[in-house]
Amino acid sequence: MKIKFWGVRGSIPAPGPDTIRYGGNTSCVSVQTATGDLIIIDMGTGLMHLGNHLMAGAFGKGTGKATILLSHTHWDHIQGLGFFAPVFISGNEFTVWGPGGSPEVLEGILEGQMDPNFSPLQTLKNFSATFDVRAFPHDEALGTAGVSITTRLHPHGGTTALGFRITEAGRTFVYASDVGQPVADAGPTADAIDFYRGADVLLHDTTYRPEHQATRRNRGFSTYEDAAAAAVAAGVQRLVMFHYDQDYSDDDVDALCASCREALDVRGGKAIGLVPAREGDELEI
Amino acid sequence: MKVRFWGVRGSIPVPGRATCRYGGNTSCVEVRPKGAAPIIIDAGTGLRRLGKSLMEEAFGDGKGKTSILISHTHWDHVQGLPFFAPAHRAGNEINIFARQRDTHLEAVFSQQHDSPYFPVPLQAMQAEMHFHELIEGARFDVGRAKITCTRLNHPWVAIAYRIDVDGAAVVYCADTAPFTDILFGREFMVTPPALDEPLPIDIQEELDRMRAGVVALAKGADLLIYDTQFTYDEYKLRPHWGHSHPDDAIQIARDANVKALCMYHHAPTRSDDANDVILAKYRDVVKQSGDRFELHMAYEGLELALGDE
Repeated sequence: MKIKFWGVRGSIPAPGPDTIRYGGNTSCVSVQTATGDLIIIDMGTGLMHLGNHLMAGAFGKGTGKATILLSHTHWDHIQGLGFFAPVFISGNEFTVWGPGGSPEVLEGILEGQMDPNFSPLQTLKNFSATFDVRAFPHDEALGTAGVSITTRLHPHGGTTALGFRITEAGRTFVYASDVGQPVADAGPTADAIDFYRGADVLLHDTTYRPEHQATRRNRGFSTYEDAAAAAVAAGVQRLVMFHYDQDYSDDDVDALCASCREALDVRGGKAIGLVPAREGDELEI
Repeated sequence: MKVRFWGVRGSIPVPGRATCRYGGNTSCVEVRPKGAAPIIIDAGTGLRRLGKSLMEEAFGDGKGKTSILISHTHWDHVQGLPFFAPAHRAGNEINIFARQRDTHLEAVFSQQHDSPYFPVPLQAMQAEMHFHELIEGARFDVGRAKITCTRLNHPWVAIAYRIDVDGAAVVYCADTAPFTDILFGREFMVTPPALDEPLPIDIQEELDRMRAGVVALAKGADLLIYDTQFTYDEYKLRPHWGHSHPDDAIQIARDANVKALCMYHHAPTRSDDANDVILAKYRDVVKQSGDRFELHMAYEGLELALGDE
């Protein structure tokens, strides 16, 4: 499996000279399976850049196929869709899985983004590619050839966000962004640890430093402490930091990363590799 | 007055190395009449940083007041509003002006805050917010400033604003296509029409009237901010997107006899280096043609003083 980061920022894109090293685009990660399948997780503004990259291959010819997994439908996880070039090429096929309880509800939410008051596209029906929206039956595994995908609902402020556990040939990648920590000092829950257990790579929300989370706990995000605690408890190989606050500069993220390393070491996680997600970087499992 | 650019990009924010000199934030301009409350034009992602800066003033104490003039409600012109810190502070007053829609403006704006998309409902924003619906040609005052507006040529219609205050005028024309090839309304165009065929006479007349309205609005302005999302060659490939190019903007600036023209609303794919080249090329065009106006390329942080500061 190859994992690539196209957008690593939370809440709103943060352009500027102080975000160019880690990147200012909102959430989007691609997973290329060993068998050649493409899985796209979340559709923040990073999706535009992934799309432009994909146009050089099969998607430019209208023979591309991908599965899109949506953690939830807050703007920073869907706002790249209207700028995703492959959906305007006839013949490409996308299957979109996300929350909402039913395909009609999820499609209605995505359709709302294209409302003509807000978008010149006016409706999803103006896409030329096949854009098949499905909604997760939350406990059911989604299998494609040799790949298993399971989900978990994280608390996320007043709502929930889906986490994804993707396993291929015994290797596992877990995507856990927008993970709320509703109760101070509670630590990761047993079922969260089960969901992350033994992952080769755990990508976990590290939106905040603890002092910033303390005043904004209701927003439903994690700190590097929460991520480190989950990584150690679940015995993962590598932890990826993700979904940085829009106000954090590159230097702030450097400091966040150093603090996270300490938090892992203090908890007995010295062997766990730490990777701060950076636009354009790729990980291989 | 002072005019300051906080977001200069069209369509979608583009963070990154290639755009960090001109800036990757979407449309937002601050107009500051001397000693008065700021007037903001458009609420793209640039509004977030403007909001942080305003919190250093009366807005931080919940005693600020501002008016936001919205050209139209496409995402790149409204997506910063949920992140505008002064709107989250009780006591501040925010007046939002935009063209009338089929649904009430407050309903349009509250859609952006609906729970599937954003955690804080519009009604939970703590500042006092008022929504003012405009029709084309509306005239109104914001403090000492006189505001007028006219229609632009853009899908689902955008409007241009002119602000007269402190003995000077600034005119904001984004987003608009040239008034030569397509009359934009509510239709969605999958592919562009042929550009070399003459338009039906009634359509051409309506475009002529719209252009005359823009020229009249910009007449003698100290600064004209104009949509130059595309170069002319890019425009020819995407005339159905509703954006213009420098040659068209310069012709409007000439006809309106403005003192300065600022190219604005850069395409997300436009790099800083490409912007440098376009600016140099058109400064030369303006010089060779004997035009008397100054030519600027908008960048985040550009501040221009007009009239009595």
